[in-house]
Amino acid sequence: MAKRITIDPITRIEGHLRIDVEVDNNAVSNAWASCTMWRGIETILRGRDPRDAWLFTQRFCGVCTTVHAMASVRAVEDALKLEVPLNAQYIRNLILIAHALHDHIVHFYQLSALDWVDILEIPKADPTATAKLAESLSPWTRNSRNEFKAAQDRVNAVASSGQLGIFMNGYWGHPAMRLSPDVNLLAFSHYVQALEYQRKALQVVGILGSKTPHIQNLTVGGVANAIDLDSASALNMDRLEMIRVLLDEVVQFINQVYFVDVCAVAAMYADWFKIGSGVKNYLAVPDLPLDSAGTAYDLPGGTIMNGNIAGVHPYKTASDKEFRDAVSEDVAHAYYHGEKALHPWAGETEPDFTGWNGEQKYSWVKAPRFNGQPMQVGPLAQVLVGYAQGHPLTQKHTNLAISKVQAIGGVRVTPDMLHSTLGRHAARAIRASMLAELAQKHLQLLTDNIAKGDYTVHNQPVFPGHEIEGVGTHEAPRGTLSHWIVIKDEKIKNYQAVVPSTWNASPRDASGAHGPYEASLLRTPLARPEEPLEVLRTIHSFDPCMACACHTFDPSGRRIAKVKVL
Amino acid sequence: MKNILIGGIGNVLLGDDGVGPYVARLLESRYEFETGVEVADLGTPALDLIDQISGRDVVILIDSVDSHATEAAPGAVLLYRKADIMRHRPAVRMDPHSPALVDALLSADLFGIAPADVLLVGIAAERYDAGCSLSKPVKASLDRVVGEVLSELKRLGAAYRRREHPGELGIWWIAEEKMECSALI
Repeated sequence: MAKRITIDPITRIEGHLRIDVEVDNNAVSNAWASCTMWRGIETILRGRDPRDAWLFTQRFCGVCTTVHAMASVRAVEDALKLEVPLNAQYIRNLILIAHALHDHIVHFYQLSALDWVDILEIPKADPTATAKLAESLSPWTRNSRNEFKAAQDRVNAVASSGQLGIFMNGYWGHPAMRLSPDVNLLAFSHYVQALEYQRKALQVVGILGSKTPHIQNLTVGGVANAIDLDSASALNMDRLEMIRVLLDEVVQFINQVYFVDVCAVAAMYADWFKIGSGVKNYLAVPDLPLDSAGTAYDLPGGTIMNGNIAGVHPYKTASDKEFRDAVSEDVAHAYYHGEKALHPWAGETEPDFTGWNGEQKYSWVKAPRFNGQPMQVGPLAQVLVGYAQGHPLTQKHTNLAISKVQAIGGVRVTPDMLHSTLGRHAARAIRASMLAELAQKHLQLLTDNIAKGDYTVHNQPVFPGHEIEGVGTHEAPRGTLSHWIVIKDEKIKNYQAVVPSTWNASPRDASGAHGPYEASLLRTPLARPEEPLEVLRTIHSFDPCMACACHTFDPSGRRIAKVKVL
Repeated sequence: MKNILIGGIGNVLLGDDGVGPYVARLLESRYEFETGVEVADLGTPALDLIDQISGRDVVILIDSVDSHATEAAPGAVLLYRKADIMRHRPAVRMDPHSPALVDALLSADLFGIAPADVLLVGIAAERYDAGCSLSKPVKASLDRVVGEVLSELKRLGAAYRRREHPGELGIWWIAEEKMECSALI
């Protein structure tokens, strides 16, 4: 007899994702992913000036602020066929890279690591042995006995006080936890250090964007940064040097700590390369443009269907015609009115809340489909489409990860094994190390271009009277983000955001096809169904962030949030 | 000199949830503070709040609170100290920002970088529906909210004074109705 388990909420940072699974013979036999909040914030944008849209979209989510700002200006620029000056492209790219590096570090250490690392094993570790092990894995200078001893003392203090504090929710001692005490200590010590480096990445965003968490420097047609090598208040060589120093430290942390830790966890949990695949259709858009017109990019995009890596279909531009035509949103199982799947430019957002019913409607997330098919988005999609195309940077870093996992655990990893829970973690680390390399490249490109005497940062937008449409895309930390805009008489007529977590957390569509979260959970073995750690591992591997997949309030009128002050 | 953060928290697209950012901008444009005091519109930072609060001596946060859950009338101003906030388990992560306040404080405590003094100035909200304006009761509470923040600074011995020439308000999301609020005059 199948047993039903509900996990609500499931994310460590956002609380709007609910997962229901049916468990039969200690394995997941059916799954539903749902969002418990209404989405529809786009309606605020109707009638506003398209030049201001990015200020509003930046507030969709407090965690992924910059990505929505960027997709928004790109949507307007696409509608206007407006080119973006080189300096502006490089500055935007640097902001996107720094934001992504911050996001990937936070995701692994703050949100996911404790699914694999058992805090309560740490008191048994030997800091000297941990240091020896760490030195064999990485040249990181902070892998010292003293650092490990200090980290262990912190855990001991918390454990002996009986107040687990931040760790009170973990499934400690769960049979699916398998790292040795020394490896647990190693990972925890890096969890502590990660805070310093994620902050350095944010500082880069702050210097270029003039503020965080909400950047101020965007404008339709470019950026508003003043470039003047002789002015103390403008973007000058001193500031570029500050950015270089910060990036160097972040890059070192990515290469010597994050990348290595993910490979080590993968080597020690190699069976998770066989769990959690689900939807094997992948979508990624090209990003980090290298010219004003957007014809060349440092990150490749494309699609892979049915796990057929050799059959990859590459995209040449970030708003490829095939992509524009292929996207629709289905509401058969979402709390909205509507009969058939609609293209985002014609998208509607009419709430129809019925209460959770797994056979009918059960989520506030719409089901985006690509030529009718569910798609998985995120670092795994990006790495697979790049690898399949023979993209040198992607191949280089993927091969590095594969050989590192093999060196640590003697596990032979093939690209096909990346269709898995561990594959998503590995791909995120691969993408982070690609971005680390590109951070330094784009800073150099910007510095060189300024040194040539090019100070241009902005092209003036000109709006025609007739109706125009545009799509702005960004390959964000959680995957393909697209903003769809319709403009008439210089006003926004329609606006839809199809965000990464909408693709991945999508409910079933009219044909009954599962979304990626749901499909990835099927057949997952659970050691203790009442403590479904394995479900968390797979869902967390997607890096869920429901704030932008669906925002606002509980349909009953009661705010779901604001629990903190009761 | 103390390192003090005055942070407005909330989503400016969700009605009264925007009161935190609103007050942050109000304070910034109308008052000057001694060195070491930073005023910021933090939006809904979730766990990124750790980056904002760590290493500070004092954190004063301004945020909307649920009037049903607190059994307070919309517009009521409620004060919470660190101990009040920390009484809540981090287990309930139901919101992009509120539960993360507990998480962020607990993490900062673990790492030994937590602020010693935390005050949350909560404003009971009337509505959280999509929209950029504040409800009448919340607007009417703005003077009191500003007063609570200033008296906390006074208690801490941090100097501030009213600007002779107010700066630009910068509340771009509700520019059209900014003059309705008495605290702005």
